[in-house]
Amino acid sequence: MLSFKIAARFLKSSPGQSALIMAGIAVGIATQIFVGSLITSLQADLIDSAVGSSAHITLLPGDGQTTVPGNLAAEASGSETLVSTAVPVRTLSGIFVDSDDSVPLSITGGDAGLLDTIYGLSERMTQGSFRLGEGEVVVGTVFSEKYGIEAGDELDVLLPSGSPATYEVSGVFDLGQATANERFAFVDAGSAADALGMDDDEYSAVQIQLTDVFASSEVAARLADEFDVEAADWQAENEQLLSGLAAQSGSSAMIQAFVLIAVALGIASTLAISAVQKTRQIGILKAIGMGDAAAGRIFLWQAALLGVGGTLGGIALGYALIALFGVVPVPFSIRPEPGFIALSAGIGITVALLSSVIPARSTSRLDPIEVIQNG
Amino acid sequence: MADLLVADALEKVYGEGDTATRALKGVSFTVAEGEFASIVGQSGSGKSTLLNLIGLLDTPSSGQVLFAGENTTALGRKGRSRVRNEGLGFVFQFHYLLPEFTVWENLTMPAQIAGRTLSADERSRALETLALLGLEGLEKKNANQLSGGQKQRVAIGRALMNRPKLILADEPTGNLDTKNTATVYELFRTINAELGTTFLIVTHDRAVAQQTDRILEVRDGELVQDVRNDYAG
Ligand SMILES: Nc1ncnc2c1ncn2[C@@H]1O[C@H](COP(=O)(O)OP(=O)(O)OP(=O)(O)O)[C@@H](O)[C@H]1O
Ligand SMILES: [Mg+2]
Repeated sequence: MLSFKIAARFLKSSPGQSALIMAGIAVGIATQIFVGSLITSLQADLIDSAVGSSAHITLLPGDGQTTVPGNLAAEASGSETLVSTAVPVRTLSGIFVDSDDSVPLSITGGDAGLLDTIYGLSERMTQGSFRLGEGEVVVGTVFSEKYGIEAGDELDVLLPSGSPATYEVSGVFDLGQATANERFAFVDAGSAADALGMDDDEYSAVQIQLTDVFASSEVAARLADEFDVEAADWQAENEQLLSGLAAQSGSSAMIQAFVLIAVALGIASTLAISAVQKTRQIGILKAIGMGDAAAGRIFLWQAALLGVGGTLGGIALGYALIALFGVVPVPFSIRPEPGFIALSAGIGITVALLSSVIPARSTSRLDPIEVIQNG
Repeated sequence: MADLLVADALEKVYGEGDTATRALKGVSFTVAEGEFASIVGQSGSGKSTLLNLIGLLDTPSSGQVLFAGENTTALGRKGRSRVRNEGLGFVFQFHYLLPEFTVWENLTMPAQIAGRTLSADERSRALETLALLGLEGLEKKNANQLSGGQKQRVAIGRALMNRPKLILADEPTGNLDTKNTATVYELFRTINAELGTTFLIVTHDRAVAQQTDRILEVRDGELVQDVRNDYAG
């Protein structure tokens, strides 16, 4: 414990130097926390907008089949624990025709309550309400604005069979994506069955959401195997987004690594200077009987004190930066993640301790005679 | 009385080749427990070198040092640290205090290094020592706020605190005035008489040497004289 006491006293004897290096560590750790949290939140936001309100896996009819059975949804969710919702749907392409335009529409038919579990439509309505009674349709905001279709209007669609159909628009949704808001439309299961000429027990696909979006590839492969169907997963269809995210994570990791290296070099050089400044004291302590190990521990303790102090300051500063960022109007918010912050703190303190190894070693090797003789 | 210290054919060569300095050329003598002896000699004669070897601060080029029956040449760094802490007290030629610590902390540092909390006995001894050295009331002061003479007296107090068997002092009163010098030697004498602590004091001041019981003279790295001195204190 004497080593600790001496370490604390040494730090206190040069308060400016100690404060400066702690500030250095604090800025480093704060940068790490901020950049790390920023990237994590940004990516969570990107992934959420990419797949938060769409299917993670779509089960399609297998070879030689044109439909999937009605019980596939229930069976798929029974066989995989990661499935949070599985919705049987009937999908068709219709063409909206008005006086001067003809616009393709991707129409999904299904149970309103079940569709809501995937698309969250009831919370994303900008007009009317999310209601899918017989013959009712909801369309997206972009479509609505472009073609002047509003809640309460009629929507004329040319079905794949060539026959026309008319639906009543019960609401307008905003899924947060321009394409979806222009091309998507939802109708009830019965109307879709009529349009496609399907039986009550026949569906075109099952749309699935998972509790872990990144498990989609494995789960899709297993489901395809087990139920003899085609399984499309979002990761396979979004390779570009994913490689973009990976590149972003990589560069964020690199920034963090360089920040840590800078912090380590800062601590190491400060401690090395301190070790030189305190050579005389170490020599005296050794002359009157302090052991090599205890003498070396003085610098380990100095590093630990600087590391802990700097890291605590860094966490406070990191939270302050994140809070400050909350004031700036950006389309997503940064959430500080306790796990990541604990990791940063752990790394900060470890780096501090590691950078004390060299001064601690040279201190433990110092021979008291060098000091006693040189006055 | 038993031999506390045996210096056996101690040689010390600094440097190598053409620039080598033979600071000690085979010095042998023994010191019995309870002796009060001085080492005299001109500047550069090898007094400090000899004291550093005996104090296990440095290792001889050849020869050995036996302390309390133990051959210290065979000890590792750890063992030598232990002997320095428990068996020896140092007063260096230049007062060596820790400037970051108070007078009290400097005084009790040997006990702290040994990992001990001060006993009531040690506390009162520390206070007594401060009083004897004319340092009362200064215990809370930082060591670097003291005058040179005050620092030297704290260093002397520190050497006494662990009740070592042997106190090695290199020009302990070099920075002190006549009155303080007399006080310090009186204190050394008292401790020597009451506790049987052995003293080996380096000085180039003949008058100081005359107050010790035995005078060892070093000249050019050799022990040239070793005489009993009848001191009538
Ligand atoms: N580290 C060293 N390297 C080389 N030579 C040294 C070293 N230390 C001492 N010497 C030499 O050894 C000789 C003895 O030195 P020492 O310090 O023992 O003298 P001293 O008797 O204590 O002198 P003083 O009374 O001035 O303190 C001197 O010639 C000195 O120059
Ligand atoms: Mg000397």
